[in-house]
Amino acid sequence: MMKRLLVATSLATLCLVSTASAAEKIEMWVRTGIGDAFNKVVEAYNASHENQVVTTEVPFGELVQKYATAIAGGQAPDALSMDLIYNPAFAAAGQLEDLTDWAKSLPYFNSLSPSHVKLGTYQDKIYGLPLSVETSVFAWNKDLYKKAGLDPEKAPKTWEEIEANAEKIRELGDDTYGFYFSGGGCGGCMIFTFTPLVWGAGADILSEDSKTATLDTPQMRKAVGFYRDMVKKDLVPASAASDNGTNFLTFTNGKIGQQSLGAFAIGTLVTQYPDINFGVTLIPSVDGKTSSFAGGDNFVITKGTKKLDAVKEFLEYIYSMDGQKVMAKYGSLPTRGDIADQVLAGLDPRMQVGLKAISVAKTPYTLQFNDLINSANGPWATFTNAAIFSDDVDGAFSNAQSEMQSIIDSGQ
Amino acid sequence: MTGSGPQRTRAVRKRRRSQWRGFLYIAPAMALVIVFFVMPVLFTGWMSLHNWPLMGAARWIGFANYIRMWNDSRFMAALNFTAYYTVIVTIAIFAIAFPLAIFVEKERRFVSTYRTIIFLPVVVGLATASLLWVWLANVDSGFFGPALRALGLVERSPNIMASFDTAFATIIVMVVWKIAGFTMIILLTGLQAIPSELTEAARIDGAGRWQRFRHLTLPLMRKTIALALIVSVTGSILAFDQFYIMTSGGPQNKMISVVYYIFNQSFVSFNLGYGSALSIVLLAILVAISIVQLWLLRVGEER
Repeated sequence: MMKRLLVATSLATLCLVSTASAAEKIEMWVRTGIGDAFNKVVEAYNASHENQVVTTEVPFGELVQKYATAIAGGQAPDALSMDLIYNPAFAAAGQLEDLTDWAKSLPYFNSLSPSHVKLGTYQDKIYGLPLSVETSVFAWNKDLYKKAGLDPEKAPKTWEEIEANAEKIRELGDDTYGFYFSGGGCGGCMIFTFTPLVWGAGADILSEDSKTATLDTPQMRKAVGFYRDMVKKDLVPASAASDNGTNFLTFTNGKIGQQSLGAFAIGTLVTQYPDINFGVTLIPSVDGKTSSFAGGDNFVITKGTKKLDAVKEFLEYIYSMDGQKVMAKYGSLPTRGDIADQVLAGLDPRMQVGLKAISVAKTPYTLQFNDLINSANGPWATFTNAAIFSDDVDGAFSNAQSEMQSIIDSGQ
Repeated sequence: MTGSGPQRTRAVRKRRRSQWRGFLYIAPAMALVIVFFVMPVLFTGWMSLHNWPLMGAARWIGFANYIRMWNDSRFMAALNFTAYYTVIVTIAIFAIAFPLAIFVEKERRFVSTYRTIIFLPVVVGLATASLLWVWLANVDSGFFGPALRALGLVERSPNIMASFDTAFATIIVMVVWKIAGFTMIILLTGLQAIPSELTEAARIDGAGRWQRFRHLTLPLMRKTIALALIVSVTGSILAFDQFYIMTSGGPQNKMISVVYYIFNQSFVSFNLGYGSALSIVLLAILVAISIVQLWLLRVGEER
């Protein structure tokens, strides 16, 4: 009797233990401002799997330092959706789980977005795998075009055209503006939407080897000129001057005629703002050739996490057809090249523009990306605000040029 | 002579015992100070002699961080801005808090209501207050701009946070609104400590209102003013929240205070070592300024 009781209880405990270990809670961090794709795929995963993913949204400007401090304090989440340009720095610091063997065993490994895998690889080991692909594109509000007497189906091809259209849209009245951008020192927003203006024209803000700042080019002067002009002519809302990125999706209020956005925003617009009738095209450069910023996030796993298998299961779900479809519906372009066409089939055709942008897109790569570009107090963020809104354009150029160079030099 | 020997040792022993007891009494306070102030400062000093990244291994570099500071134009700009802010905000706080203290000192109807209302913003957290004022100053959905426009004073709602002067003025007004009540309470205790006999005697002697204030109130309030001044100056030099939340250091990085710069160096650029060196220098500056203030106001010197 006693023995049977013992067996029964131990069996019961065994069951308890096994169910407890089967249902893991994965803690994951994700940055704000990348749309709903990730949250929706988490929802779909949680609904269909025993393991659960708990996400914490961290403001996009603070994710890197919060993660680094959390690692230093031993409080890091199990996994992270990390802006892929930061991947090398964290891999180099030895804080990420080595995924090489597992990644290479995935049957579709070779069709995963190569630029993501490249940035996720450090010294021949893989520390990050593609989670989301994002490109910048140009959007216009077709209803406002129609009201202003413009052809709503004709995408603007040059900035002269965009400016002229903005003037016509502004004439519609009080709260309707022709153009918008987050100009209050949002380095991330501006590298994403504004640098394509010079990239397409053959210029860049850093030299090929990232060792020289090359900000002051005729192309950049011309690009700044277009934005300054539109601000001076009152075609841009006054709030743009102090928007540090929180209102990046102002286009969704339906009173903005044109804005450079990301593919994520297409997903957000289609799913959450179905009333807004908009068109999407590639961002023209100052001389009319198109360009784009290809970014996105890598999936990284904190070194030493105890839930490695559960995290891997979640990532495999993301790469499945179901996962990819959910992601794409909310604006993240497919990360698996082999099934991209099937994933996008039946989705909003405007997503195709985001995919097309990849072929003309650039991804700047430097270990000092945060200091130079993304930091709200870095030279690039300061430059975009000063050059477009202040009275001293030359000063803005020379200050930013010298400060960028000094940051690059001190990091060598 | 011979009899005094054992007596003296007893006295010495007694004094020694009472010294031990005294030490026992202050031990908890000392422990707190050592654990939460002395040790962190020593550790910060140790870190400041290293190249100490947030992730990865630290490397000893001696005084290189301190040398780097001398040529760091952004640090100098931060020092400049902090000094400018401290001077302006301290003058503004005192210009408001002193009249308020005199106003609420006199017994009058509803005086405790006045005191409460004026003190109310002090209990709001600085971050909360900053967020509130960011909203008030918002160009489209806020209060100031749209209100000016509704009153017909301006044609279009101005973006207050977009230019340095107006954004800075907004922050000064916010800080005064938030802090003046606290300074007022400190000054009020000083005012109330002045014996009414003295004021009466001066009045009988024919001293006017201004003379009484200048030659009686001010000298007797020296210590209180010193306290209020040190609290206000130290607080202003350590200002961070309002710039971080309200303008994120902008427009064009013109509002980076020293603490903001230390934060950026430590947690944005991950140079914890350089951040520590800057912190040590800031600590030295604060100590020096406090000493100068105490000396100027001759606190501790009894007349």
